[in-house]
Amino acid sequence: MNEIIQTILVFIALGLAVSFMIKKFSWKKPKTKKAFSDAHDCDKCH
Amino acid sequence: MSKQINVALIGNPNTGKTSVFNALTGLNQKVGNYPGITVEKKEGICKLPRGVKAHIIDLPGTYSLNASSLDENVVIELLLNKNDKDFPDVAVVVSDVENLKRNLLLFTQIKDLEIPAILVINMADRMRYKGISLDIPHLEEQLNTKIALVSTRKKNGIVELKELISNYKDLSTTPCMNASEIDREYFDNLRKAFPNQLLYKLWLVITQDVNFGKTDRNEIDAVANFKTKTKADLKRLQQKETIKRYQFINNTLKKGQTIDLNTAKDLRIKLDRILTHKVWGYVIFFVILLTIFQAIYDWSSVPMDFIDSSFVSLSEWTKNGLPEGAFTSLLAEGIIPGLGGIVIFIPQIAFLFLFISVLEESGYMSRVVFLMDRGMRRFGLSGKSIVPLISGTACAIPAIMATRNIENWKERLITILVTPFTTCSARLPVYLIIISLVIPEGRFLGLGYQAMTLMLLYLIGFGAALVSAMILNKILKIKSKTFFVVEMPNYKLPLFKNVVLTVIEKTKAFVFGAGKIILAISIILWFLASYGPGDDFNKAEEIISTEYANQNLTEDEVNEHVASYKLEHSFLGITGRAIEPAIRPLGYDWKIGIALVSSFAAREVFVGTLATIYSVGSDDEETIKNRMAGEVNPILGGPLFTFASGISLLLFYAFAMQCMSTLAIVQRETNSWKWPILQLVIMSGFAYLIALIAFQLLK
Repeated sequence: MNEIIQTILVFIALGLAVSFMIKKFSWKKPKTKKAFSDAHDCDKCH
Repeated sequence: MSKQINVALIGNPNTGKTSVFNALTGLNQKVGNYPGITVEKKEGICKLPRGVKAHIIDLPGTYSLNASSLDENVVIELLLNKNDKDFPDVAVVVSDVENLKRNLLLFTQIKDLEIPAILVINMADRMRYKGISLDIPHLEEQLNTKIALVSTRKKNGIVELKELISNYKDLSTTPCMNASEIDREYFDNLRKAFPNQLLYKLWLVITQDVNFGKTDRNEIDAVANFKTKTKADLKRLQQKETIKRYQFINNTLKKGQTIDLNTAKDLRIKLDRILTHKVWGYVIFFVILLTIFQAIYDWSSVPMDFIDSSFVSLSEWTKNGLPEGAFTSLLAEGIIPGLGGIVIFIPQIAFLFLFISVLEESGYMSRVVFLMDRGMRRFGLSGKSIVPLISGTACAIPAIMATRNIENWKERLITILVTPFTTCSARLPVYLIIISLVIPEGRFLGLGYQAMTLMLLYLIGFGAALVSAMILNKILKIKSKTFFVVEMPNYKLPLFKNVVLTVIEKTKAFVFGAGKIILAISIILWFLASYGPGDDFNKAEEIISTEYANQNLTEDEVNEHVASYKLEHSFLGITGRAIEPAIRPLGYDWKIGIALVSSFAAREVFVGTLATIYSVGSDDEETIKNRMAGEVNPILGGPLFTFASGISLLLFYAFAMQCMSTLAIVQRETNSWKWPILQLVIMSGFAYLIALIAFQLLK
């Protein structure tokens, strides 16, 4: 395997690893789930 | 195309609901979370007669449809929302033959929602031991349903249950009782205001006042001129409803169930007397713990050695078999050793979960909860806190979520804050490798020193949780009332299938959850250790050959010096050197420092990180343990992992708050950043102090 290809593969792996870690630990605040969904058939009640 | 129906498995806790789920789905199951919340969602596929497939959801255990916790809300939300994609075509209500009366309360509520429902009477094999006989046709008639008598232990009744599920359209949806009888006028008004709605569903929506933040029943007035009742009046009506339901159930069971106490044979009372005894109870619990830790060591050494040497061979094969280059090095020196650092611990993790699962399945764990309640009160905790503290031995995240069933906010907050002290499975790899390096292999009274050290670390974690709970109880000025109710299930032989499935599920979660992070960190660490800035790194060969020009070094020795020099001047080496002054007083070098920092992502990353760092540039194919044992202290000389530095590291890991996911879950559960930040600072600061003292005293 060509050395350039190996280097490219290394950088692809690095890019994937870094993006995975960023995605994993950049927490988004979880959306508060409504007790009933918007399409609930008891909508009239509340 | 085959038809798929939705089946919801509902039932009280400890009715064997999960056993029924396992019997129906086998290995066709997956575990996830309900969207937006962190309640566990178990679902699976079951093949029914005539080519019908059933999508089965194992809903959280609940005693009734009057929710008092997030888990219970999940059940109610699903049953009230016809538009939910999981809304059941049929509900399978699992009950326990010995607690039929209590279990039927939930069943009658589900029937009143006019959802086709099947009643499963589980543990039917115990009927003859308990002197119970049932008149099934009478019960079916009274409850307007079909009943399946099931014994998951004896594998009886599952075929019949599948048949009943596939014929769900034949089930009656007639309610068991008319809830409106509890207050005719109120329910008449409700019916007039909402003529198109199911009355019992409306009643549930109105009366659920716990955790239904967005549901404001006062808005009902504004919408439809409907005069609702006060909170106290609604509570009274709920009580009236429950009494009415039990009257109905009593009448039904009067003919449908007979219990002959003369034929009942029960060991339960005798066993309870011993296992919950104020002295023997603790002694037995202690002996069980000791046996578990000894077995973890004794049984797993062979598979661990096999895994370790397999990864070494794989790394060697990769290095020799693939063309030379950066990517090959990444595989052989980064990814494979990094992953090896986690896979090696599968046997021990599996054995730990095996024992925990057996203790839970047998009914013994509830006795431990009861036994511990007396002690827990002194520390400002509830008996229910023992559940998170024990499940914290697996992982702090579900353990913190399990605090939701503690009603008292102060006790719940304290439990959340102290649970991360419990020794979680992520600490286990770190403990195991360090113990094997610094604690001798000898035995005392048949018990290995290493096993005893491991148990001591678990006790230290537990002790730290209790002491900090006591301190928090004094500091936190929150006033609230508390009570403790725990159900004691019957003792039973653990079901092999359930135990195996739990072990597979938990081990898989551990390996794949940590594995992805370790894979990513291994790649990043390898990169940082293999590249560096400036001439020091790029001209390492020249610098070394000049420096050692006068010494007749062999080619291998020169390569070793170059690798070591490059590592020191790599990005990773520079970072490690920067933090080294802070950790040197604890007996660590910069490589351990890097492993400490990276394990703030997840503790188990520690071993993988060291495996990766020690592999980079090394030509020797060694096991992780041998590599760590061979490391030399750069300042003092001699081995880096001595008794003093090892104990210091063990104590650091016992107390430090090193898990980003736990911090995130604490933030979510307390709805504040104050608590996770305090946890991080106090626990890690304390860990540093204790590790420092330990090293300075022992060195």
